[in-house]
Amino acid sequence: MSDFKMKDIEWAKINEDVLASLESPRKAFWIVLAVCFALVLCGVAAEIYQYNMGLGVALMNNPHYWQTYISNFVFWIGMSHSGTLLSAILLLTHADWRKPIYRFAEAMTFFSIATAAIFPVIHIGRVWDMYWVLPYPNQHAIWPNFRSPLLWDAFAITTYATSSALFLYIGMIPDLAICRDKAKGWRKKLYTAMSLGWMGRATEWIAFQKTYVLMACFLVPLAVSVHSIVASDFAMSMMPGWHVTSFPPYFVAGALYSGCAAIITLFVLLRYLFKFEAYMTPEIMDKTARLTFAIAMAWNFLNLSEYASIWYSNDMFEHEMLIDKFTGPYAGIVWTMLFCATVVPFAMAWKKVRVNMWAMFVISLLIQLGMWLERFQIVSPPLASNHEPWTQVAVWPGLVQMTITAASFGWFTMLFLIFCKVFPSVSMYEVKEMVYHRNKHGKKKLQDLDKIKDDMIKTEEGLS
Amino acid sequence: MRRIRKKHFLFATYDDFEKAKEVVGELNALDDKEDIIENIELYSPIEHPEVNDMLGEFHQPIQRFSFFGGITGTVLGFIFAAGVGQSMFTVQPQGGKSVITFPPDIVIAYEMTILLGVLSTIAGFLIYAGLPRRVKSYYDHTVGVDQIGIEVETDPKNNEKIRATLESCGAIEVRELTS
Repeated sequence: MSDFKMKDIEWAKINEDVLASLESPRKAFWIVLAVCFALVLCGVAAEIYQYNMGLGVALMNNPHYWQTYISNFVFWIGMSHSGTLLSAILLLTHADWRKPIYRFAEAMTFFSIATAAIFPVIHIGRVWDMYWVLPYPNQHAIWPNFRSPLLWDAFAITTYATSSALFLYIGMIPDLAICRDKAKGWRKKLYTAMSLGWMGRATEWIAFQKTYVLMACFLVPLAVSVHSIVASDFAMSMMPGWHVTSFPPYFVAGALYSGCAAIITLFVLLRYLFKFEAYMTPEIMDKTARLTFAIAMAWNFLNLSEYASIWYSNDMFEHEMLIDKFTGPYAGIVWTMLFCATVVPFAMAWKKVRVNMWAMFVISLLIQLGMWLERFQIVSPPLASNHEPWTQVAVWPGLVQMTITAASFGWFTMLFLIFCKVFPSVSMYEVKEMVYHRNKHGKKKLQDLDKIKDDMIKTEEGLS
Repeated sequence: MRRIRKKHFLFATYDDFEKAKEVVGELNALDDKEDIIENIELYSPIEHPEVNDMLGEFHQPIQRFSFFGGITGTVLGFIFAAGVGQSMFTVQPQGGKSVITFPPDIVIAYEMTILLGVLSTIAGFLIYAGLPRRVKSYYDHTVGVDQIGIEVETDPKNNEKIRATLESCGAIEVRELTS
């Protein structure tokens, strides 16, 4: 059982392994990076084309303004949730198995937000007017409307991006100091500046641990609020299919679900590319998969209760919308989504599947596909079954939208891989803590067992 | 011209927290008896609350920074949203709604509470951890790997006694340093 072997890893070896990942990943790393870069170039070309020709080339027209770009925005914001939120929750609940995987999960959060932030810019078409969403002094007579959830989005996402980046950075300081001590050249300068002169003094450690827990306390409600606000973009409208009271918790559960699936995908990818087999063990995958399964069930419950509340609501427009989703032009999307996000996770009920890296990789990709389709079926079908008959046309994403969507995956993965190449993606000091405490408690358990044995022998001798 | 007093240290490294705990206990006992130690500093690759407790109480009320940062964020966030609402009163159609609207303004105040709470927590961290700072010239890299460093500030005349204590607890190496 490799998880139990983890307590035998020497501290020096942990530093050595993680620092080696910064220098010599497998060749496949460069191949994946090149593919991602090529996707980004395709996306840039598609955006330039759309910029020159107008949003019509993305097949958006009245009233189908919100389509793939907004689906992508919601998907990437959702993806960002699991990293920081789960890291913070698991930190507060002292779950030590988070330690080898939380760093990359937090990085995933930041890069997901960076990817999500691109989509409102692409979506508005007039890229140069993006700053209109920000509340700045009103000399231009542009009046941000604080009653609009879209402006709340601007606040919530800015706060989330800033706080998540700081949470990631603060948690990395002790490891940056280790990197500083070993690095040379530009890396040395970078790590020296970023480690702020950390030396591992007791005063530093105490302040660090306090700060980290306090930040986690802020981040849990923040993460919940961010996706609730994104849900409000839809729920506060009067559109059938969007005007749903349960949207905020449903969005939060969906965000956690897709984020957990993304953690599994990146877990397998990093484990292979950076040779982290000793740290990202099947046992940790097992625990992550169990958590994902639990969240999948919560999401499914909320999904079903949404259908049920529409079904029993007696609202004819909502009824029609729901029936149209399952039988109309978008039915294929809805049924595929249900297969990927509702049926596929049941494969995780078997331990053999949960500890099989490549099986989990495929499952996680299918879940993510399901969750992307879920966002698409929230955004697009209601626009195609509006109150007015002339709007009732199914509109599908065109080549430009699909290219930009594919590029977003390339962009996210490229940023993430560059991060893992420059910064330690496994927390060295936290893995050391885990090894130390497991050893200590392991020894204590053995001593307790010996004591019980001695007591039993003495009692038996006394009796005889 | 003011003369800067040179500080004198003994720096010992250990391969085990138990040894570090033992030596801190012995140094504390020696100091109680003879009052010869100015300061003891622990350097370690991970936090160890038991040894830290033996070094004395660390007064680091970072949570006050979080609290007051959060409160400031709430107030500023609300004033900001309400203030902008007030300033737009004459130019943006209100549609019969109140100028200062609690539900949306509370959302802005909530986000600002968290943002300023996080930023002030980090300010508290930097102040109490004494960061950023220059790495000491005699900083031993092994304390970032697998060893525990004990730095004792003392007068050079007490060197022998302290060195003996440090060595008696199984120090890997003891160095004399001046800064």
